[in-house]
Amino acid sequence: MEFLRQPNLDFIGVRKYMYVLSASLIAIGVISLIVHRGPKYSIDFLGGTAVQLRFEKPVQIGSLRQALATVGLGQAEIKHFGASNEVLVRMPGSGQNPSLVNDVVGAMSRVLADNPVEVRRVERVGPKIGGELRRAAVYAVLISLALLLIYISWRFEFKFAVGAVAALFHDVMITLGVFSLLGQEISLTVLAAFLTLVGYSLNDTIVVYDRIRENLKIFRRDTLESVINKSVNQVLSRTIITSGTTFLVVLTLFFLGGEVIRGFALALLVGIIVGTYSSVYVASPIVIELERWAEARKSAQRRPRPA
Amino acid sequence: MQRRLLYRTLLVVVVVVVALYQLYPTVRVSGLEGKLERQLTELSRITGAPVADLRSALATGELEGKVRRLLADEPGTLDRATALVRQIIRTHEAVGSLQDRAIKKGLDLQGGTYLVYEVDIPGLLDQLAHNKDERFQEIVRASVAEMQATGGDFFDILRRRFDESNLRLSRYFGKMGESDDKIISDLRREAEDAVDRTLEKLRYRIDQFGVSEPAIHKQGAHRIVVELAGVHDVERAKRIIGTTALLEFKLEKDPQVVQATISAIDRTLRRIRSGQADTTALARIDTTQRASRKAEEAEVDVSELFGQAAEQVGVDTGQVVVDRQTFEEAPFSSLLRQLPGVTGEIAVPVQNMRTVDRLLKLPEIQNAIPRDAEFLWSSKPIRLGGSDYYLLYLVNRNPELVGKYITAANVRVGAGESSLRGNEPRVTLTLDTQGARIFARVTGANVGKKLAIVLDGRVASAPVIRERIPSGNAQIDGLDTMEEAKDLALVLRTGALPAPVEVIEERTVGPSLGQDSIDKGQKAAIVGAILVVLFMVFYYRGSGLIADFALALNIVLILAALAAFRATLTMPGIAGITLTIGMAVDANVLIFERIREELRTGKTVRAAVDAGFSRAFVTILDANVTTLLTALVLYQFGTGPIRGFAVTLSIGLIANMFTAVFVARVIYDHILARKPVTASLSI
Repeated sequence: MEFLRQPNLDFIGVRKYMYVLSASLIAIGVISLIVHRGPKYSIDFLGGTAVQLRFEKPVQIGSLRQALATVGLGQAEIKHFGASNEVLVRMPGSGQNPSLVNDVVGAMSRVLADNPVEVRRVERVGPKIGGELRRAAVYAVLISLALLLIYISWRFEFKFAVGAVAALFHDVMITLGVFSLLGQEISLTVLAAFLTLVGYSLNDTIVVYDRIRENLKIFRRDTLESVINKSVNQVLSRTIITSGTTFLVVLTLFFLGGEVIRGFALALLVGIIVGTYSSVYVASPIVIELERWAEARKSAQRRPRPA
Repeated sequence: MQRRLLYRTLLVVVVVVVALYQLYPTVRVSGLEGKLERQLTELSRITGAPVADLRSALATGELEGKVRRLLADEPGTLDRATALVRQIIRTHEAVGSLQDRAIKKGLDLQGGTYLVYEVDIPGLLDQLAHNKDERFQEIVRASVAEMQATGGDFFDILRRRFDESNLRLSRYFGKMGESDDKIISDLRREAEDAVDRTLEKLRYRIDQFGVSEPAIHKQGAHRIVVELAGVHDVERAKRIIGTTALLEFKLEKDPQVVQATISAIDRTLRRIRSGQADTTALARIDTTQRASRKAEEAEVDVSELFGQAAEQVGVDTGQVVVDRQTFEEAPFSSLLRQLPGVTGEIAVPVQNMRTVDRLLKLPEIQNAIPRDAEFLWSSKPIRLGGSDYYLLYLVNRNPELVGKYITAANVRVGAGESSLRGNEPRVTLTLDTQGARIFARVTGANVGKKLAIVLDGRVASAPVIRERIPSGNAQIDGLDTMEEAKDLALVLRTGALPAPVEVIEERTVGPSLGQDSIDKGQKAAIVGAILVVLFMVFYYRGSGLIADFALALNIVLILAALAAFRATLTMPGIAGITLTIGMAVDANVLIFERIREELRTGKTVRAAVDAGFSRAFVTILDANVTTLLTALVLYQFGTGPIRGFAVTLSIGLIANMFTAVFVARVIYDHILARKPVTASLSI
């Protein structure tokens, strides 16, 4: 069976509207980031202590807060984690105190004596490590972008590389915006998801580019716009199927993979949608805009200067 | 053509066989582990001991002895149990011999702890320096702050700061007149050596603790990574590993001095607060209420107590318990308590501890404390009337005696000196002759005073000196459990670490969460795979089956590669594999769509397949190389779990190229070889 048999949709013609759509999505994300004063980092990057606890019976956040107040930790962030008997307690910046976890558990078992508690996970990151990780993350993103620029320039042309990298920025900014809007935090695993979505989105872009490169040789007389439109249409059913299967799998990760992996899956879910969109509406149109700009400059140079 | 197909088929078969060979130990180990679990459960039923205990006894090789002790009075069951013990040991050994070649489960999957210790180089300098004075401390403090802010090299910063303040390093380190170059390079070597010796000592301690597969290694210049897989009692492991075991005996200050110091701190705090007293802090404490509620304790915000000073103090904006009555005249005292039955020391309610601790670190308050004295906390709280209190001791800054004179540390059960502590475990210390001489002099000269036994800056106990002790035997009591006493004796016996260590990162996953993670990860991977497999058959029919076969082989190859590289499977790793499943079909989708296109243009099946594979290959290569590049960057910059993810993703991509392109092609060629030229293709 087949979904789309030789589609002929005008992708390039509507690109101006899509520029507006992309710009608005990015703007919403950026505004959200400004309002929230930057992304919400997890303790991986900020330093601090996170304790995941499981109680035998469901617990109320309020009673836990009272319990923590008895050891002077009333300000800790407490939230349910997956189930109603499981909670995550986060104490930013207090990575130094070695007895902190004991204090937390001690206070809870004193106040909630009839509800035994089990420590499922402890994460403690010193402020120094957090700073180092932030630095490493920035380097990782910059270096991968540089490598990609070089590789794509080598395999295609520089203007393709610019288009691909612009599409990546687009995808990362939108996903970051979604995370900011949903109040999701950026942890190490989410960072890995971001870099994966970079890889995925690129994968998609490359497939389209590849077909453009091939078609440019075949349809020499056609305009760049028409070649690109033809190419996007030709690979459309592949794009839909691949995005579809990957989306399916990430969706199962999101629903069945457990709370620990949920942030990771969310980043990929958003990433697959915008990554697929951007390879059609961002990466290729930018090649056209760059080409036009270069031609305009060339003809401007050719025109005789007024005396 | 037929010959080439044969060779390629053989290559596929060889790869599959090698992969299965690599996977065999993993499959076998997981079977044996199930068997071990059943056997241990059976043994636990017979002996009545918990499975976890039996397991740790098995790890340290004490299982048989333990079982004999447990069943000493039941000869009948003992025989049955020892036979079972032999079987268990055999299974355990079989697991051990295969384990190396099996896929290891990450700490997040089997439970365990990942700890990063940083050797405290400034702390080491503090130990090495002589003639330490205020200026020295200040420079070290400033250097530490600069290092933390900029991430620069500590020794370079230290040296520059010494130069800037026109101080010679030789005043504090090495010999008089030595050049700064030499001293700095000596210190560097000393620091490096300290890290190595710390590593050795940690290894020794962990061995004694009996962890089955500890991994301990250096990371960078000053860090030590300790991975403890499947440790159930993480707190205990951490206590043993992380105790510097720097033991000091310090004399406690006379009660009059303590009282005078507290008054001085109260005065200082009043002064700090009065800066904005009229407008903020005091105004907000309701004075009318205070009159009616006499000497009542109440919970108030720290910010309410100290107003803007709270920020300057840097305290948590949490709640503390204060005695409102005394707060105004004595803000510091109001945070403290005098407990009945506890002689002399100051008790601090556990809620107030952080605030008190931070207040004591303020420079102004530091100035109010006598130069030769310091405040130290008790190592554990005491419980009185439903609340916990930590004790605060004011002791001499300079120790009378340090731990290096210890020759032995043993556990004893108290012989009822006082009825209260009758059966409490305690650790007895034996000092060498020099240590015994010092101890005799100190105890002789200070009868009636308290001698605080300080372990890593916390007071373990502070007994009153009753008489001169010439024997060179000291003891530490106030220990709750036998286990705690044993652990303390262990760290004291193995000796102090050359330099203090600090946990800068800890990731602990409980075994139950680990099992949950595996279950959920597997479920997601299987459901995802089934959905993809069904879709491919539905959409591409016969060719979809080929893609599904390639996908299955892909997963086998990833797992085999993990085993071959001795890599560790983590939760993000499982996510990486799951993601590969989704993306793996991409290559086949590209090829199939291409073949369909070529068929539409009227090509024969063979030509369409040829064109489909060769044209799609370029795209697949480009697409995979770019993803591989990001995976490599992830590996380079990532830590722990991220690396695991990068590894599985990279392996997945490479395996994918092989299965989706090469293997699928071989299968097609086999099918086409048996078909007439005019046949159609199931696609």
